[in-house]
Amino acid sequence: MSALASGDFWAFVGVVAGIYTLLALGLQLQFGFTGLLNFGQVAFMAIGAYTMAILVVKEGLSMWLAAPLAIVVAGAAGLLLGLPSLRLRADYFAIVTIAFSEIVRYVATNEGSLTGGSQGTIALGEIGQAAQYNDQWERFQARVQGWLHVGSKDVAMLVIVWTVAVLALTLVSLAVRTPWGRVLRSIREDEDVAASLGKNVLVYKLQVLVLGSALAGLAGLFYAWQFSFFSPDDFQPLLTFFAWVILILGGTGRVWAVPVGAAVFGFLFAGTRFLDFEPLSSLDSAQRAYVRLIVIGLAIIGLVLFRPQGLLGRRDEMVLE
Amino acid sequence: MSARLEVEGVVRAFAGVRAVDGATFTVEPGSITGLIGPNGAGKSTLFNCVSGFLRSQSGRVRLDGRRIDRLAPHRIARGGLVRTFQTPRALTRMTVRDNVLLAAPRHPGERLSRGLVGRTREREAGARAEELLELVGLHGHAEALAGTLSGGQRKLLDLIRALMAEPRILLLDEPMAGVSPTLRVELLAHILALRDRDGITLLIVEHDLEFVMGASDRIVVMNAGQVIADGDPAEIRQDERVLDAYLGSRHGAR
Repeated sequence: MSALASGDFWAFVGVVAGIYTLLALGLQLQFGFTGLLNFGQVAFMAIGAYTMAILVVKEGLSMWLAAPLAIVVAGAAGLLLGLPSLRLRADYFAIVTIAFSEIVRYVATNEGSLTGGSQGTIALGEIGQAAQYNDQWERFQARVQGWLHVGSKDVAMLVIVWTVAVLALTLVSLAVRTPWGRVLRSIREDEDVAASLGKNVLVYKLQVLVLGSALAGLAGLFYAWQFSFFSPDDFQPLLTFFAWVILILGGTGRVWAVPVGAAVFGFLFAGTRFLDFEPLSSLDSAQRAYVRLIVIGLAIIGLVLFRPQGLLGRRDEMVLE
Repeated sequence: MSARLEVEGVVRAFAGVRAVDGATFTVEPGSITGLIGPNGAGKSTLFNCVSGFLRSQSGRVRLDGRRIDRLAPHRIARGGLVRTFQTPRALTRMTVRDNVLLAAPRHPGERLSRGLVGRTREREAGARAEELLELVGLHGHAEALAGTLSGGQRKLLDLIRALMAEPRILLLDEPMAGVSPTLRVELLAHILALRDRDGITLLIVEHDLEFVMGASDRIVVMNAGQVIADGDPAEIRQDERVLDAYLGSRHGAR
């Protein structure tokens, strides 16, 4: 209990919330501003993480080169997905995205020679050697830790992740306030109207899909660096839905609702570990892990009942048809 | 400024039913042309074919001699042909002003790479939007969400939003439907002014025959997907086929 309540533990919770913020920020841009239903966001996170790890381990690239390349590859994957599928109606597009995310996970599981297969990144290198993609990152993280004069690696990571997250949030909130953002919102409201006024709807949707995928790729990088190892199982569809939960908790159509939703989600998700009093203590820890899903479900039900616009959403917008 | 629209043999079928079956007519530059016909005559389908929202299966549509029948809707709109929809389509969760500003053509700020540099154009567009809002008396609602407007106000918003796009030809789909009698008078004045002051060509689908007869220079009558009459209001009033289509072929029997 005392170990769980330590600063390190909460720093870790904060890091995860920062990673989810980046993941859900992509969804906010796609759904909250443009009305695109993407249920496959986790795929781009996986593509970002795997691209970086593969380039570092197999190609011997510097992490500083592999990381931006990974973001580019994740964005390009978004383009590749969007080109054939964005012409579909909204609900069919949503089905394609969830299928895409499962395809990515299955490819990662089965193309062992590329990804290490179900053993994960540890099997990326030569057989019998435990592959590591994290050396350069850990040196960087240690240096940041030195600059900040903090005792914990997790606190250093917290500062790095949130610096990047705040930067991304700022850029997105500036972008959506421009005339470009106005076109996005018009597509969300009624894409026929946007087209009837001369806007090339497909181009805007592709842009948003690529940007959201790149953000997920970035989230994938931090995920990879934070945990030093990952396997295809880390990229279950559930992760996409956690990002959606964050979006619903925070509120759609508001950039700064994303970190709020992520913080609340992170707190609920981690905080339920402290529920080991009677009668819950009769459950073992694995069973208790599921209690948090129940708590999050109840939080969403409560929110939909009492504050359907989300924590930071606007009710006056919500009530309009 | 004004544009000529030529529709030639346009066909559009849905599962074998030919909703538009070889419609041919011309909208002269600077005219108001009324497009009338009983329900199901194919007027709205034809509108969708002309504005690119539906692809015609054969036939041609020309805007000032240039073929537009294979272009995407946004390309047609940029070419100067702008349409409104049968039911007003306010972008409800955006402000009234943003609804209008959205339509500003040639706006560099709408490009992602240049979103922050379109300031001059944005000011220009803002001034024009203000003018248009004032014109129809919506300036007091500029900051309100468009979803809070009444049906009649949404109709006006649709109209000025289309005007903001600087059309050379404007296609209005039932502008008078669901509009109160007082607002009708105002709308009619605006529409006539578009032709007389701005030189915009207008093609108007409308069921209100009094309005169509009063406002149109020419009237095209459709029935069962085909153009059955085409002439000035006086000619149309006398046309046997038109009376047949509207009242049934035995209307003259006593």
